[in-house]
Amino acid sequence: MTNSLDAYLILSGLLFAIGTFGFLARRNAISMLMSIELMLNGVNLAIVAFGSFIDRLRPNASVIALLVIAVAAAEATVGLAIVIAIFRNRRTPLVDEYDSMRQ
Amino acid sequence: MTIPEVIPIVNVRWDDILFLILATVMIGSALLVVILRDIIRCGLAMMVCFGALAGIYVIAGAPLVAATQVLVYIGAISVLVLFAIMLTQTKAAPARLVFQTQAVPAALAAVVLAIIIALAVGSTDWGAAGTRVRTATDALAKVLFQQYVLPFEIVSVLLLAAVIGGVFLAKRDEGEPL
Amino acid sequence: MESLVVLIPALPLAGFILTGLFGRRLDKEAHWLAVGVVVVSWLISMVVVVAALSGRLGDAGLSIKLWEWIPAGKAFHVDVGFTVDNLTAVLLIVVTTIGMLVHVYSIGYMAHDPGYWRFFAYLNLFMFSMLVLVLASSFLVVFVAWELVGLSSYLLIGFWYGRRSAALAAKKAFIVNRVGDVGFALGIMAIFVNTGTFEIRESIEKLTAAGAVLTVPLPVIALLVFAGAMGKSAQFPLHVWLPDAMEGPTPVSALIHAATMVNAGVYLVARTNLLFAHAPDAMVVVAAIGIFTAILAASIALTQTDIKRVLAYSTLSQLGYMFAALGVGAWAAAIFHLMSHGFFKGLLFLDSGSVIHAVDGEQDMRLMGGLSRKIPITYGTMLIGSVAISGIPPLAGFFSKDEILASAFKNGFLWVWLVGFIVAGLTAFYMFRLMGLTFWGPSRVDRQVEPHIHESPPVMTGPLIVLAIPSVFLGLLIGFPPESGLIHQWLEPVFTDGLEVLHRPEAAFNVFGIDGALVLSSVLIAAVGIAVAWRLFGVELPRLSREPDPERVRALTARAPFLYRASLNKWWFDDLYDLLFIRVGGRVAAFLWWFDRVIVDGTVNQIGIETQRAGRLLRQVQTGRVQNYALGIALGLLVMAGSYLVITAR
Repeated sequence: MTNSLDAYLILSGLLFAIGTFGFLARRNAISMLMSIELMLNGVNLAIVAFGSFIDRLRPNASVIALLVIAVAAAEATVGLAIVIAIFRNRRTPLVDEYDSMRQ
Repeated sequence: MTIPEVIPIVNVRWDDILFLILATVMIGSALLVVILRDIIRCGLAMMVCFGALAGIYVIAGAPLVAATQVLVYIGAISVLVLFAIMLTQTKAAPARLVFQTQAVPAALAAVVLAIIIALAVGSTDWGAAGTRVRTATDALAKVLFQQYVLPFEIVSVLLLAAVIGGVFLAKRDEGEPL
Repeated sequence: MESLVVLIPALPLAGFILTGLFGRRLDKEAHWLAVGVVVVSWLISMVVVVAALSGRLGDAGLSIKLWEWIPAGKAFHVDVGFTVDNLTAVLLIVVTTIGMLVHVYSIGYMAHDPGYWRFFAYLNLFMFSMLVLVLASSFLVVFVAWELVGLSSYLLIGFWYGRRSAALAAKKAFIVNRVGDVGFALGIMAIFVNTGTFEIRESIEKLTAAGAVLTVPLPVIALLVFAGAMGKSAQFPLHVWLPDAMEGPTPVSALIHAATMVNAGVYLVARTNLLFAHAPDAMVVVAAIGIFTAILAASIALTQTDIKRVLAYSTLSQLGYMFAALGVGAWAAAIFHLMSHGFFKGLLFLDSGSVIHAVDGEQDMRLMGGLSRKIPITYGTMLIGSVAISGIPPLAGFFSKDEILASAFKNGFLWVWLVGFIVAGLTAFYMFRLMGLTFWGPSRVDRQVEPHIHESPPVMTGPLIVLAIPSVFLGLLIGFPPESGLIHQWLEPVFTDGLEVLHRPEAAFNVFGIDGALVLSSVLIAAVGIAVAWRLFGVELPRLSREPDPERVRALTARAPFLYRASLNKWWFDDLYDLLFIRVGGRVAAFLWWFDRVIVDGTVNQIGIETQRAGRLLRQVQTGRVQNYALGIALGLLVMAGSYLVITAR
């Protein structure tokens, strides 16, 4: 199993799907961000798996994975900062209570 | 003494078992992240998930990425998340609903998504080699600092910007409560 | 000469404008301007007429182009111009002479009316319009003048606009006229389509040229033009407006509805005689409608009690004669009758106005009687007019009417002759019935009015006397000898082409043959009519006197109740039209209004409502929650990915 690319990819897909569910279903903004991190990690796993099994991509895949991690970090920083800022205004971390754009 | 490739009695390979265990842990903790009511526990589950994922990176032959995963994700991002959780706590938090009204369609979407990905993956011939090959660190270093040096630098600027931005956004004004 | 011709209509136009602008200030002196211009116009007309009829303007007459009205390239080009040929000249005599006399008469008749200056302004406008109509050389200009004449008629019928009946009558006249005008307009369009020109002479030449290819057949064009004539000259079935038009002041009735405007239709058909000559079927239609109108109107005149109504129906009947003449090809006879009728009918109307003036506004003949001694000039002239219209020789009516009947008989239209013959008798009868009720017998005038009965002032009796002269002598002057008198010589160049087409031989008048017999018969029937009228309604002439016999009258009417009621109710045509057009038309209009409101507007409104509803529905998508939107994205993505997989898997 460890020698089949499909296993890693399905695993990555599963992780991504779980992340999607969390993003669409949770009320807390921070939960949503955590779900996003899960999604990013799922993608990262796929990239690394490709790098492992396909010769052409070997060192590049890892580089890409590293960069993804870096960007994810940056995004998490800013996202969380925004959530904190909004929390200061609304006193609630629940996204369905941020509905001033509602018709 | 080298570890034998196959576990004696059950005739299963080590790495397979390891992979299975780590995969289970990862998926399990991922599920906990999205299901648990208490967000702090979610955060902790996330850390476990990242750890398991790092292990899978090792098995897949990308030790540097695994190390970076541990350092950055578990060491920095997860901590950041936990801090944010603590900063946005409200008293009434546990009593409320965990899920949105659209949780069911969301679950459905997630399941369908997983199935589609599985189908797509399964029906594609990746032209991959039969076994996994470890990434050599010096090869990686060469590529990183020759071909990808520009993205590397840009990412560092990006991180700088993110840090400054984050600090500014989350700054407390005079007299505002935490 | 050309500038003289232009002055003829231009002067009344100036009169209209100036009287309209300054009339209020001129007030009682307004007539000087209005009557003055008409008198001058008459003088100039006489000069032009003499020039035309003496042949100095040539056979085709004088053509004047005034200006280019619509220069829309080669395909559509309209000039405004005048043509003065002999037909125009004859019409000019009638229009200007009677117009002038009516203007003078109105000074007296309308003396006490607050709208004195307005009346003269409208009269001048009418004169202008009518003169342009007879002078015009292009169908389009004729049409414009046609409408203007209709407008003047409307203004004058409804002159006393405060009276509801007058306002309604004016509307009725205009609307019924309009119906005819639709036909006329279509006819003009058909003429233009087929010839590319609106000029009368040119287009008729082109239409009747041998081998002309027409998209609209000639009879149709002719009938369309006749439709216009029907409206303006009140022929059946568009005759209903003329009796109601008596709501207007009597000078208006005299001028417009006896002598000029109603003759416009006759003039039009005479002008386009070549067109009709090439369409014999159309001519039969014209004759039929004409003679039918004649007997219809005469039958109604028998029982009317309003003096002006009798004269109105009489006018309808005589117009019918004229159209019957046109229909059988006796064009010169028709114009001759137009002329003589203009004079004696004008005279009769002005006389009736004088009578009404004398009895302080009463128009019902049942409340008159015995006026012969009290208003002698009016009585005398009216007697002359009645004799003229009854066709007693040697007065004018005899010559013109007899020519029409003779032409009908000799050209094979026996039915026209027969009906015309009967109508002649009826005409004599109802005219002398009128005389009997009004002037003879015991006085039935209202006790309070009786002492005040007085003859009209000279400004009114003057025109009466002047009009009596041609009523007596016109026939002898221009209609004798029959078929070759002056009038025929004058009109020969106008009608000769048409007569050629009809293959009418030039037969001499044979006193001792068929012609003599016809003359005798028409005189006899007129005499019979008069005798019956005297028997029933009395007479008071020197050496002949008889008391009226109301018992006998009642007995007679009792023996034919349906006919009497039909005659009294104008054969219920007004009621029929009311039912058809007002009631049924009203229902149709109401339905269409419902349709427009509910269906057309409703559809448009519904589109708006549905749009709003759709908007309301769609608005619910905008929840303001990012996760809802994200779910949407996820679902969309899944659909796309799924379908891609499915498609590539096949």
